[in-house]
Amino acid sequence: MISLSVSKSNSQNSTHAKHGLAVSISNLSLIYKTSISKRPTFKARLKSIGRGKKHTRVVNAINNVNLEVHYGSVLGVIGSNGAGKSSLMRVISGIIPPTQGKVEVHGSVSTLLALGVGFNPSMTGRSNVYLGGLAAGMTRSEIDSRFEAISEFSELGDSIDAPMRTYSSGMYARLAFSVAATVEPDILIIDEALSTGDAHFKEKSLNRIKELRSADRALILVSHALATIEEICNEVLWLDKGKIMMRGKPEEVVAAYKEFLNVGKSASSNEDV
Amino acid sequence: MSTQVTIYEPFRAGLPPIGAYLRQLWSRRTFIAEFSRAELREQNFDSVFGQLWLVLNPLLLSGVYFLLIYIIRGSSDSTRYAHLTACLFLFYLIGNSLSGGVKSITSGQRLIMNTAFPRVMLPISATVVALFKFIPTLAVFFVLRIALGLPYSWQMLWGVPILLIALLMGLGMAITISCINVYFRDIANFLPYIIRSLLYLSPILFEVSALSPRLKKFEMFNPLFSLLDSWSKAVVHASAPDMHSLLQSLIWAVVIFLFGTYFFLSRERDFAVRL
Ligand SMILES: Nc1ncnc2c1ncn2[C@@H]1O[C@H](COP(=O)(O)OP(=O)(O)OP(=O)(O)O)[C@@H](O)[C@H]1O
Ligand SMILES: [Mg+2]
Repeated sequence: MISLSVSKSNSQNSTHAKHGLAVSISNLSLIYKTSISKRPTFKARLKSIGRGKKHTRVVNAINNVNLEVHYGSVLGVIGSNGAGKSSLMRVISGIIPPTQGKVEVHGSVSTLLALGVGFNPSMTGRSNVYLGGLAAGMTRSEIDSRFEAISEFSELGDSIDAPMRTYSSGMYARLAFSVAATVEPDILIIDEALSTGDAHFKEKSLNRIKELRSADRALILVSHALATIEEICNEVLWLDKGKIMMRGKPEEVVAAYKEFLNVGKSASSNEDV
Repeated sequence: MSTQVTIYEPFRAGLPPIGAYLRQLWSRRTFIAEFSRAELREQNFDSVFGQLWLVLNPLLLSGVYFLLIYIIRGSSDSTRYAHLTACLFLFYLIGNSLSGGVKSITSGQRLIMNTAFPRVMLPISATVVALFKFIPTLAVFFVLRIALGLPYSWQMLWGVPILLIALLMGLGMAITISCINVYFRDIANFLPYIIRSLLYLSPILFEVSALSPRLKKFEMFNPLFSLLDSWSKAVVHASAPDMHSLLQSLIWAVVIFLFGTYFFLSRERDFAVRL
């Protein structure tokens, strides 16, 4: 909210100006058009030739969003399922092009959203870490030097050399988070990697995120763990049906969101770390 | 670290900035190497028996076809067998490139949905895998050649540019079909039939010289026809290939590659939404 001296840091030589602009989003909209038939096939296309209009479902995943994220800030993103959080993160990291509007990213994004690790379940965790890192643009020596730290942080032990199809979902999440947290990009986006770990790992990853907070890094955290968000973020964005409902101080936004969900007092919602 | 600014704007059909794209691709070349290696390892081709199977499979196949020809025509010779084997091996380079490439985008879904990178890396890796599967068969062919006592000459070096043309063609086909498969998922089911038809329509089980001129004209439309003909001339008969057919195969390869790459690059930003 408090935008201090928004310096256009395009051609600055060294690290980012404190509170410099990291991500700037203007009038962003994203529309998914998918066909109703589950799999697009040649056969289905042939069958529908005589039928006139195509059956498509249109989802307005992001709806005219304006947003600025500054270096040094930790932005939490909350909202119900299907609110468009993951879609927004994909647009910021350049995976999905926007339908309308413009996104400017200053600096390197860890485009490796945590879930990209383990794309090939028949390969070992180790191969997947390397492949994920290389695809995200790291060099082999960078990964070499960090691999120890990654495997140690994930506490997977020997399982790191087992095929990933033998992993539990928590083990997946552990490895994914470990990779994302070790890469150290300028802008780190963590989408829901916190949710499946056990209490011990949640605690550990929370501490790791706190360590990662620094003046020349921007963190964007997507999570349903409201208490966590409230604890580590200095700003929270609440999305609903692709629109920004509210943005501001963590306590206020989380409180408003809880009220909206009407779950303020139920026990299950407070169970995050 | 210097701050770079990246701007994402609405998707328009058309090519991305080629220079930047190539730079991205080049900076991720280790991914291609690592991915191909992991793929080969996973298919057990790093072990002795895996490699043996790689060689044995087409060798057995060529044995079967040889038998077939012998039964149908009542006669055969060693040149014929060498032709059959050499062409079958090269055909497998392209066939493997196609069958490895077809699902390269759709099976990389998780990676594509979560990481930004030049998508063309995936079909390229498929062709690299096909190349690594091809190399041991090439060695086997040369052993076979010695055993059959076929002639040698410097003209056999024509095999090198022909192999490069075959690679370009295989790459172009892998890129094209991986993209088509995003929009028509059943192309992967048709592919075995397509490959089979190509196999029978190509001068593998027969030699070009045995073809009537009318049929020969028709074969201009088979991209593999003049390629395999040139390959056989060079590595089996140890003579210079017909320049006309060499040129024809080069044109085919370039056209397929350019067409496929244009098609792919102009749509790849749309892939993440389609998967
Ligand atoms: N590939 C896709 N094709 C079509 N529609 C999609 C696609 N991905 C997401 N959507 C739709 O876009 C909307 C937003 O989805 P998104 O994944 O961004 O939600 P989310 O906020 O991350 O939800 P969650 O909290 O469950 O992770 C949903 O309505 C979803 O159905
Ligand atoms: Mg999500």
